[in-house]
Amino acid sequence: MSDQPITDLSEPRLPSSWSAATGSWLPAVILLLVTIVLWEAAVRIFAISAFIIPAPSEIAKSLVAQWGTLMQATLVTAGEILFGFLVSVVVGIAIALVIVRFDWLGRALYPLVVLFQNVPKVALAPIFILWFGYGLAPKIGLILVIAFFPVTLSMLAGMQSVDRSLLSLMNSVGASPTQILFRIRVPHSLPNLMAGTKIAATLSVIGAIVGEFAGASDGLGYVIQFASTQLDTALVFAALLLVSVLGIAFYYAAEILERIVVPWAPKFSQS
Amino acid sequence: MRIETIRAAGDKPAHIRHDDLISAKGVSVVIARQLILSNIDLSVPKGSFVSLIGPSGCGKSTLLKVLAGLVQPTQGSVSIAGLAPTEAARKRMIGLVFQDANLLPWKNAVDNASLLLGIADKSLSRSDLRARGQEMLELVGLGDSAHKRPNELSGGMRQRVAIARALALDPAVLLMDEPFGALDAITRDSMGQSLLEIWQRTGKTIVLVTHSIDEAIHLSRHVHVLGIKPGRITESLDIALPYPRDLSVTEDPEFVRLVVQLRTMLRSSHQPGGAS
Repeated sequence: MSDQPITDLSEPRLPSSWSAATGSWLPAVILLLVTIVLWEAAVRIFAISAFIIPAPSEIAKSLVAQWGTLMQATLVTAGEILFGFLVSVVVGIAIALVIVRFDWLGRALYPLVVLFQNVPKVALAPIFILWFGYGLAPKIGLILVIAFFPVTLSMLAGMQSVDRSLLSLMNSVGASPTQILFRIRVPHSLPNLMAGTKIAATLSVIGAIVGEFAGASDGLGYVIQFASTQLDTALVFAALLLVSVLGIAFYYAAEILERIVVPWAPKFSQS
Repeated sequence: MRIETIRAAGDKPAHIRHDDLISAKGVSVVIARQLILSNIDLSVPKGSFVSLIGPSGCGKSTLLKVLAGLVQPTQGSVSIAGLAPTEAARKRMIGLVFQDANLLPWKNAVDNASLLLGIADKSLSRSDLRARGQEMLELVGLGDSAHKRPNELSGGMRQRVAIARALALDPAVLLMDEPFGALDAITRDSMGQSLLEIWQRTGKTIVLVTHSIDEAIHLSRHVHVLGIKPGRITESLDIALPYPRDLSVTEDPEFVRLVVQLRTMLRSSHQPGGAS
């Protein structure tokens, strides 16, 4: 904490102009376009059959033809992801708070949480179907067990990394553990928590798709499974494309949330 | 100011001299079977500016923590205006400043300055706290930076906020552990000068832990030299230079003589010695 420059690290790095923005995106876009063109060319030149690797044009055609079905499935999956993600964040935060505030309970709970983390949770999907049926509940349950852990762990790390001299200062004026928790530890943990939340957002997408694979009558995971049994590989790829778009959308939503919640936190990439 | 509320002399145990605000008697500290401090006797007169100087590992920071009530002495006793340090801290008589400013990055300067006061005195409203924080920021020369967050302030400015935060409690004594240790030489000089001005304006008693000979002589009225293995007070030096002092005092022949004297004392304090 020596003399740092007075520049404000909290400001998101905004590109100074349109040309700077396109400049940073341009290489990635060019590579993507080149890949698509080569893919299309390779499929045509080597006459690869459409049910093994469909050409990008076939995927696009399938996307347009099945647009209604795909959009409906996307909406269902997005709903599962959003709901499951929110439940994971709430439960993850609650567990972290309990562990930090109630020492005895924390020491009992923490090893169990870590132990549970080592269970391959994807394998729980059939059991959840058995318990909760084919509706929304097993998907939310699966997302929860997959995504709460990074939230709990990152928030714990943030709450426990408060500087000891700061705690000395607080103790010297008689601050209670609850005051220290909510005035110091919780706000101090927010940058870590937001990092964990971004991981949870990505894991929520995986949880929803796995949940749909295990048993569903709707959603993108169901479309992928159904289309693959029909050897409609182009539709599988179209659904995959939409899953990826969902994943990116949720990740950036979490990132925007981070900038709103912790504008004062230095960005990891900059520090 | 709350200084009047410090106990009248009649409340104090008899062995404390009338004008001593802080008195440590035979303080020893053992941590992890190691003798960190051995038989320390220290008295700090009310309104005085005292520095503790010594090589690293001499336990000067530990001594400050004992005075603050953050470390319990294994032997001996400490009293601050007749109270045990933890009790004195509870009564807002102790202001602490560490090498790291430890500001909350999500709060602006004025809210950081009033943070501890708000916890110590729950009866104060938000606007009372803001007003007090603003008043303290003006005292440390940061009146117009009240709404800046720590990451918009330089290291020296952050440390000024930390001093304002300690002063907001209106403590009888300011305990400072190398508060300017992480600052560059020029910032350090001007911070020292500001601290002297604050001291003279508020009449606080200040105990400063430092490893800078110049800083100790420039600022303080009494300097105690600590030796290592075990940590003990080896020598004490009165700085007779008249106040108010400014940086030109460093060119005074008496200042130069004191620097040489203190340096010699410090050199001999590096020799390990047995517990007395």
